[in-house]
Formats: sequence, C-alpha cells, structure tokens
Amino acid sequence: MSKVRTDTIAAVATPPGRSAIGLIRVSGPATFEVLKKIFKTGGKKTFPLPHCVYYGSIIEPGSGLTADKVLVTTFVAPHSYTGENLVEISTHGNMVVVSKVLQIILLNGARGAEAGEFTRRAFLNGKMDLLEVEAVSQLLSAGSMSQARLALNQLDGLPSHFVSRVRSRLLDHLVQLEASLNFPEDAIEAIDEHLLARDLKKILAELQIFADNARNGSMVAGGLKVALLGRPNSGKSSIMNYMLGRERAIVTEVAGTTRDTLEESLMIGNYSIKLIDTAGLREPGDRIEAIGIERTRRAVDEAFALIGVFDGADSPDGDDRLVMAELERAGKPFLVVRNKADLAQRLPDAFFEGKQQIVVSALKGYGLDQLVADLRRVIEESGLAEYEDLVLLGAQQSTALEKALTALARASAGAGQMYQDMLAIDLEEAVRELGRVNGETVDVNTLDLVFERFCIGK
Amino acid sequence: MKEIKHHQVIVVGAGHAGCEAALASARLGADTLLLTMNLSTIALMPCNPSIGGPGKGHLVREIGVLGGEMAACIDETCIQMKWLNTSKGPAVRSRRAQADKYLYRQRMTQTLFNSPNLTLRQGHVTEILVRNGCVAGVKLETGLQFECDRLVVTSGTYLNSRIILGRETWPGGPQNQSPAIGLSDSLEKYGVPLRRLQTATPPRVLKSSVDFTKLAELPGDPDAGGFLWENRLRRYDRQISCFLAFADAESVEAVRRNLSESPLMLGNITNVGPKHCPSIDRKIMRFPDQLKHQIFVEPEGWESQELYLQGLTTGMPPAAQREIVRSVKGLENAVIMRYGYAIEYDALAPGLIRKTMESRALKGLYTAGQLNGTSGYEEAAAQGLIAGINAALSIKGRSPYWPSRTSSYMGVLVDDLSIWQKPEPYRITPGHAEFRLTLRDDSAERRLMREGYGIGLVDEERFRKINEWTTRIEDELASLDGLSLFPSGEMREKLVSSGTGDLKKRVSACEILQRPGISYQDVRNLLGEEKKEWLSAADEIYSLETEIKYRGYFERESEKIARTKFLESIRLPLSVVDTRVSSLAPHIAELLLSDQFDDLNQLVRKNCLSRSELAILFTVLRQDSEEAVGDPEVLND
Ligand SMILES: Cc1cc2nc3c(=O)[nH]c(=O)nc-3n(C[C@H](O)[C@H](O)[C@H](O)COP(=O)(O)OP(=O)(O)OC[C@H]3O[C@@H](n4cnc5c(N)ncnc54)[C@H](O)[C@@H]3O)c2cc1C
Ligand SMILES: Nc1nc2c(ncn2[C@@H]2O[C@H](COP(=O)(O)OP(=O)(O)OP(=O)(O)O)[C@@H](O)[C@H]2O)c(=O)[nH]1
Ligand SMILES: [Mg+2]
Repeated sequence: MSKVRTDTIAAVATPPGRSAIGLIRVSGPATFEVLKKIFKTGGKKTFPLPHCVYYGSIIEPGSGLTADKVLVTTFVAPHSYTGENLVEISTHGNMVVVSKVLQIILLNGARGAEAGEFTRRAFLNGKMDLLEVEAVSQLLSAGSMSQARLALNQLDGLPSHFVSRVRSRLLDHLVQLEASLNFPEDAIEAIDEHLLARDLKKILAELQIFADNARNGSMVAGGLKVALLGRPNSGKSSIMNYMLGRERAIVTEVAGTTRDTLEESLMIGNYSIKLIDTAGLREPGDRIEAIGIERTRRAVDEAFALIGVFDGADSPDGDDRLVMAELERAGKPFLVVRNKADLAQRLPDAFFEGKQQIVVSALKGYGLDQLVADLRRVIEESGLAEYEDLVLLGAQQSTALEKALTALARASAGAGQMYQDMLAIDLEEAVRELGRVNGETVDVNTLDLVFERFCIGK
Repeated sequence: MKEIKHHQVIVVGAGHAGCEAALASARLGADTLLLTMNLSTIALMPCNPSIGGPGKGHLVREIGVLGGEMAACIDETCIQMKWLNTSKGPAVRSRRAQADKYLYRQRMTQTLFNSPNLTLRQGHVTEILVRNGCVAGVKLETGLQFECDRLVVTSGTYLNSRIILGRETWPGGPQNQSPAIGLSDSLEKYGVPLRRLQTATPPRVLKSSVDFTKLAELPGDPDAGGFLWENRLRRYDRQISCFLAFADAESVEAVRRNLSESPLMLGNITNVGPKHCPSIDRKIMRFPDQLKHQIFVEPEGWESQELYLQGLTTGMPPAAQREIVRSVKGLENAVIMRYGYAIEYDALAPGLIRKTMESRALKGLYTAGQLNGTSGYEEAAAQGLIAGINAALSIKGRSPYWPSRTSSYMGVLVDDLSIWQKPEPYRITPGHAEFRLTLRDDSAERRLMREGYGIGLVDEERFRKINEWTTRIEDELASLDGLSLFPSGEMREKLVSSGTGDLKKRVSACEILQRPGISYQDVRNLLGEEKKEWLSAADEIYSLETEIKYRGYFERESEKIARTKFLESIRLPLSVVDTRVSSLAPHIAELLLSDQFDDLNQLVRKNCLSRSELAILFTVLRQDSEEAVGDPEVLND
C-alpha cells in the first residue's frame, strides 16, 4: 500500500544564524499554486516553468505589501530533491525576513515540515537510501572540510553496501534456519552449528568495526569535543575566550566562577572543534558546584581530547594533582598547559613529570598558537581525520545498529549452544535492524525466501 | 401452504471448517442447521491423511483448548502420533498425527448427529437469500428454502470446481464428489468477488504392491500424547509406521519426459496454488538440479489398503503418473488405486473477511476454510471455529470474539488472513508467528483457556481442572524463584562436575535451573530436603523448564507483545463521530475510517503509516487512553 501524501510542506533550509542568505523550500503537489498566490516575478518569463530561476517579490496577499525580494528556483516532479514539485526561495538572511516569508507561505496552503521531512520524502520517493539521507543532512550542516568529506563518502554509498552485505549474509543463515524450523521433514540439510557459530563470530567482528567507525563518525560530524580541565581559577575560561576570539565565558578572580559546562564551536585548520569549558575540578564546596563537577566528569567521558590547565603562578595543590590524575585516567589524548606565564612562576617543572608543557599566558595572549598547533597534531595523529573509513549515522540508525549488534552478539554466543528457534529470533532481529540502518528493507520476508531457495513441499 | 423453516444459524458445507462452525454455534446455544452436499462425506480428508506439524499442530492444540472438536477427534482416530522438531527448540516442537481418514469421518459424523441444537440435512445450496442488505437464508438445488439470521459458508474446494488430469478436464469436486454450482454466482451478485485457485493431490497405491524392504520405516512415538489437554499423557502403543522412499535422478528424468503433459505446461489450469505443496512437476521445473526428493509413504487408515505418496502430487495424466511412481525404488511394481489430480475452484478475493470471519461485503455472512483462500484441514477447522463462535455470539447479542496474534496461532491466522494480499493460498507455519516463543505447544492452555471459558465452549468442570494444572506450574515457578539458597560444597562439586561451573554466591533455584545442562531433576537432587513438594508429571516439568530456561527471550518478546496488544486494542474503523479523527491529517483519517482494517496493528503491519505519522496518531489516540504506549519508534518493527 503506498502512502497517501497529499499535502505540501515548507521549511527554512538554512540553519539559523549561519549564512547571509535564507533558503526556504516548499515541496508537494500544491507547491506552484502556493507560489502563484504570493510570488510576483520581476521579469517577463511565465511562472512557473520547470527548472528556472526567477527574481521577484514575495507579496503578502492581504495587505499587498512586499515582504522580501527573492530568487525562486523551480523543480518539477520527479526531477527534484524530494521527487515532488519543489521550489527553493532564497531570501535575505535576516531571520526576521526569513520567518515573515515562511509565515506567508504557511498561511497560503503549505504546512510546516517536520524535521527531516523533505529528506524523508526524498527517501520515500526512491531518491536516496537512508545512509545517503543521513549524509545529506550532515553535508548541509557540515562546518568543516573533514565533515563534508565524510558526508560525501557516505553519498558514495560505501557504508550502505557494507551494511547490505552483512545483512544478506545473516539473512542467508536465517533463511536456512527457518527452512529447517518450519519444514522439518523437507530434507533440508541439517544445519552445521559449528560452522554457523564461526561465521556469526566473524560477521559480528566486522560489524563491530563498522560500529566503531560509526561512533568515530558521529564524533567528527558533531565536531570533535575538546574539554578544558583544571582546578578553579587556573584560567580555563580565559583560554576558551581567547581561542574563540570573544568573551564567551565569564572570567573573574573568584575561584569556581564557571559552574556549568559551556560548549562552543571553532575551526582548527580543516577540523571542526567543540571546545568545552568546565567547572574547575576540586572537592565541591556546595551542591551546585558538586553538580557542575559531575558535569565536568561527563564532559571528560564524551570528549575526544582534553586540555589540562594549570596555574603557573601558584604552587601545586591537591586539586592540581586531582586534575592530573583525571587526565591520565581518561585514556584520551591530552595536552598540559602552564598558564599565567606572565606572572612569577611557582609551579615546578617537576610537577609535569616530563610531560611536554605548553607555556601560555591567556591574559597577554602568548603561547596560544602553540596550543592550537599541538591540538591539531593530536587530531591528525588520532587517525580520525582519515575520513575514508568513518561512517555517519543518524540517531535512529545508531540505535538500530546498536540493537543489531546486541542481537547478533547473542546469536553468535548462542550458536551451537542455544536452540535453533531462539537463534533464529536473534538473527531475525539483527537482520531487521540492519535493514533499518540502511532503510532498504525493514520487513524480513523470510518465508518467501525459504520457498524461493528450497524445494519445499510434498 | 408455504412453510420455510427458520434457523438462527445455517452452516453450508460439512468439511473441516463447517463441522467446527456448526458444533461451536450449536454448543453456544444457537439453533443451527448444517447443510452439506453429501452426508456420507462429512469431514472428508481429500488429500493427506495427517493432522498437525509445526504451526498446524499448534492450531489443533488451540482448537482443543477453546472447545473445538478437531483435537478430540484426531486423538481418537489416529494411527500414529509423533513429535517433530524436538531438537530445534520449544517454539517449533509440535505433534503430528497420521489419521485413519475413515474413522475420523465416522467419529465427526457421530459427534454432529449427537449434538443438541444441531440439525443436519443433505442439500446443495445454490443461492443465498438476502433481505434488506442482510443475509436471510439459502435456497437449495431442489428448490427448498431455509431462513436464517446468520450464514456460515464453508464450501472448501467445491465452488465451480474442475478436475484437471493432463489434457482431460471436467467439472467435479474432490474425490469424485460433485462440484457446487450456483453459489458462486450468488455470492458475486451480492458483492462478494471471487478468484480461482488450484491445488492437487498425489496418487494412492496398493499396499501389497509396495516393496517395503527398500523403504525406510518411520515409526511414531508411543508417548507423544494427544492434542487435547485431557489426552496429553495418553500412550499410543499401537501405531502404524510410515515409510520413506526417494525420487532420484531416474524419477526426475521420468517427470521431465512427461512434462509436456503437465497442466502447468499445458496451461489449462490457473497457476495460483499453495506454495508449500507444489506438484512434482513444479518442483522439477523450479529446482532442476535437485536429483533427490523425499516421498513419504503414508497409510490412510488401520484397515485401508491404500498408501498416500506424499511428494508426488501431480495433475499429470495416468500414464505419466504410472511411469513416475514406478521409477521410485520400492514402488517399481506399485499399483495405482486412485490417480492424483489437480483441482481448480473459486475462493474469495483477498481482503473480504474480518478477523471474526464475518464478511466485509455482506452483512450476516461468515466464511471459513478453503473458501477464504487458505489451505489445510487445521486452518479450515480453526476458522470454522471462530466463524461458528461469532455467528452464535452475534445471535445472542454478545460482542464478537477474535483471538489475538500475541496469544495464539489462531490469532495469527485470522489476523494474517484478513489482510492477506498475496495471490497464493495461506498456510500457517511458525514463520508467520512473530511471537512464537510465547505461542508454544505446551503453553496453549495457559494462553487460551480463559478465553474458551469466557466464550462458553469450555464448561466449569473442564475449566477448573485445567486451571488447577496451569496453576500448579505457575506456583512451582514462583516457588523456585523465591527459593534462595547458598550452594553447599557438595552442590558446588556437582555443578562443577556437570560442567556448568562453580557457584559462589546466594542464588535462586531458578537461576540454577537456568544454567545450561541443568534439569529440574538436577535442581531437585541438589536441593534435597530443602523443598518438600515437587512436580512429577513430565509435561508439567517440561513446561516449567522451558519457562525458566528461556526467560530472557520471553521477557524480550513480552515487551513487544505488550505493544502489539495495545495496537490491537484500537479497533478500526473508527467512527466518523469520533472527535479524535478530525484532528488528523485527511489521508490518515481516511485510513482510520475506511473499513479495510480491523485494528491499528494491521495498519502498522501493512506499513501504511510513516514513523512520524504514527507518532502523531499516537499523541492523538493517547489522549483518552489509559494504557501506556511504547515509543512509536519500536512500533515499526
Ligand atoms: C485435490 C486436493 C488436494 C489438496 N491438497 C492439499 C494439500 O496439499 N495441502 C493442504 O493443506 N490441503 C490440501 N487440500 C485442502 C484440504 O482438503 C482443505 O484445506 C480442507 O479440506 C478445507 O476444508 P474446508 O472445510 O474449507 O472445505 P472442504 O473440506 O473442502 O469441505 C467443503 C464442504 O462443503 C460442502 N459444500 C461445498 N459447497 C456446497 C454447497 N454449495 N452446498 C452444500 N454443501 C457444499 C462440501 O460437500 C464439503 O462437505 C486439498 C484438497 C483437495 C481437494
Ligand atoms: N595574570 C594572569 N591572570 C590570568 C591569566 N589567565 C587567567 N587569569 C586570571 O585568573 C582568574 C581566573 O580566570 P578564569 O579564566 O576565570 O579561570 P577558570 O579556570 O575558568 O576558573 P573557574 O571558572 O573559577 O574554575 C581571572 O582573574 C583571570 O583574569 C593569565 O594568563 N595571567
Ligand atoms: Mg571558568
């Protein structure tokens, strides 16, 4: 049964605040009707011809007032992004103007699109598979070259080929199992559980690597998280502000100023970084601080790399040692910074136990180039920059992949131990969830395949 | 003087569907008339002499629990009883019986004759009478008329049926019965569209002409027990064996030589037949490289001198059949008593039946069995039971009954059937049941007993007995769960020596039983005197062990079951006056208002809604639902 979709949707396609022009998309059967009501072309060209660009005005039908001068690009089904009739309206970037134009569109026959609905329509109209869908949404919001390359890798379909292949290997086993379970007397070769177990183990290992790549992919895609860690007053917020080039975090001489984690994006070379300022680490003085420190620990867990900040002008105390221990415990790449180098130094070199310190003054602004250069080296050395292997998954796809992994792990552990009917259930789940990762097929019509592949029946 | 007899319910056809329908209806107190073309062929098995197997056996068990007749009848008339799939797991383990076809018919006929509220008459129904858009009665070939409030049609493979044997074809029903002519037109006239389906049966050979020394013997299991709860521990010491032969390269060659005479090649038959019982011609055509095919040689009764050749189904002409049969080792001199044949018949077009077996097209009409596009005795009986129950319930003004797909194969059957869109006939297998770990053979009573009692086909006495039994298992489960123990040194030694590893902390008895290789008996030995009462019946122990050992699986399944149940609980179509509908997008509202689906789960299963549409629908429906709704994401499963 095909899905009945009769309505026309509209939404702003540019993320808020990011660009100089605003892009609004309208898609669906009534697209051109809507536009005819509100768009007046500047030239003589008849509107709408397929695949043309028009310059003109968006007019509010009631008042006759011009909301904005815009460019309208027309696409006719099925040759559009969504596979439906579609226009793209480029407005001036000001958010007020953009939302005014959108409002006019919504009052004249379109409804607001749900998140991802354009891409979903594209998917439903056979324009792309799910991994490609994900790539597109990432490409649109890619802030860095490495993110964009990752999205492009995805559009090539390499990861989806991998998932299809794994899925079909598992499906082969499942079909074999189901044949034997459903038709016990049809002389279907007995299943060699030993072989099955071996093969499942192999597939599981491959899928685990894929899942790792997906986890790394989502790290790159969301911006690599780098957390600033240090005892209160060591100058974390000052460093953050300096790297961002603006006063983002509050800086005071009161220890414990930053009480919650703060995230900001910045580019380092071709990499998109999410810099995280944290509450200073120490034995908490009050409940709010305790919560802040709890969050700091979480930030450490989520981070890709850490920067330890130490106050060079002070002699080391227990909190500094706590910070150092935390850096070492996390098992992630980290850098150590001696801050406040403009003041008289009381932090002995011995404290760093031979670790390469980066000497910095956040106040005077020196030493920070070295910090940026070192951070870049850390990223490059991590291998995460080798985006060829990385995989991007959306939230639902990640969930599906994790479910598939769990089910497959159960099947792999159970093969040869567990009854075949239980095995089949785990395998079925793995196959279905993998189908969901790709979006190619969610239904698993195992029985049909059994009949296709085996000579069943009396 | 005009005298038209009136009955509350009329059932047309005394095949496996019709017998169950008539009995259920009469037993529920409706004045019921069973009309059939030939009173001498009630409950005829025109094809294989067996009942049960994976999925089918589950149905028979469930029929027994709900108060149907098939289970009781086959338990009494079988010549062999056997467990299948025992090594493959509790979900697919099932019984199969070889039937004495003749005794089965006799016993079923007796049961019908002895049933209060039930009248039997021979008659060929040619017309349905309709008044005010609602079924009002039937008319026979003889001109006689009968009136009714509800009509259950179970015409099997008889509607406009045609026999095909090579190039020869003629109007005819199964086993030289007459075809039913007229009823098809009448159905179509009242808006019930039909389609053509086909099936076929293999030749039967004379027992004394078979060389059994060349065949492998397949005996039954004396302690397989019967299908009916009351017979679960019954021993079948006297049984007849089946035999296994093989069609090899020579037979394949014999089929190939004769393929030009196959109805499939001749094209004088519709191509749409049951996927799971293809003819030998079709098998050879589809799997040309397979040079070995099993032939099960099955006796048709204690006294019968005929053997059924499962695996050699065909509608090829007699000479070809002879050649093929004789190419099989052990059948070189076989004498064919009845030739195989193909049959083509009218069945309902898909999408016309509700889960209650009531027609979507004509009020007061219920249909069941092969007519609904299924194939198989068990499938027919299950539907007949549901149809008969609902015909009677509606007479009594009670709300309709349908089993849930979360709690029975019957539920799976009626649910699948009411939205089945594939061209080929439907047959039940465990592959259709997504909750098959729960729908086990051994759990049938626990799943359905209350429903049977609620409907009224299970009486107080039987309910009480079965209830005692299920309670015993459940209590024992709770007791083992509650029994926490610290393993003694002796116990730990035993655990180590049994290979499941040491145990150093306090655990429940269930946790010990969950370990691979540990049985209930082992736990009992381990615990010694710590517990006084123990289960002793093998079936109870089996059920208990299964419940405990695969708990993790059951728990995962039961989460999904809860979601499906919720979806099933939203009955469709919604009413136009339902205020919730107005807040939905028009295309969704249209789906919910149209009479295509019985509940929301069907809509979800048919993938009619996208995830986000479902999510919206849920928010709307949840507004006045008490039940917790799972996250719709998982609903797309
Ligand atoms: C040749 C052949 C091969 C088969 N092969 C298989 C197989 O391989 N596998 C399988 O699972 N099943 C097979 N079957 C199907 C199996 O026989 C049916 O599934 C089962 O019998 C269906 O039961 P039913 O109650 O629906 O119909 P039936 O058992 O066919 O009973 C129909 C009843 O309705 C009566 N009737 C019909 N029309 C009228 C009328 N107008 N008026 C009065 N009475 C009427 C008939 O007399 C009969 O009593 C085969 C059947 C045949 C004939
Ligand atoms: N002289 C000097 N002072 C600095 C330097 N960096 C930071 N400071 C001062 O140190 C104090 C604390 O700086 P913050 O950046 O707020 O330190 P923080 O680590 O974020 O502190 P909390 O948020 O309280 O954990 C402020 O008074 C800053 O002006 C530096 O390089 N030199
Ligand atoms: Mg701070």
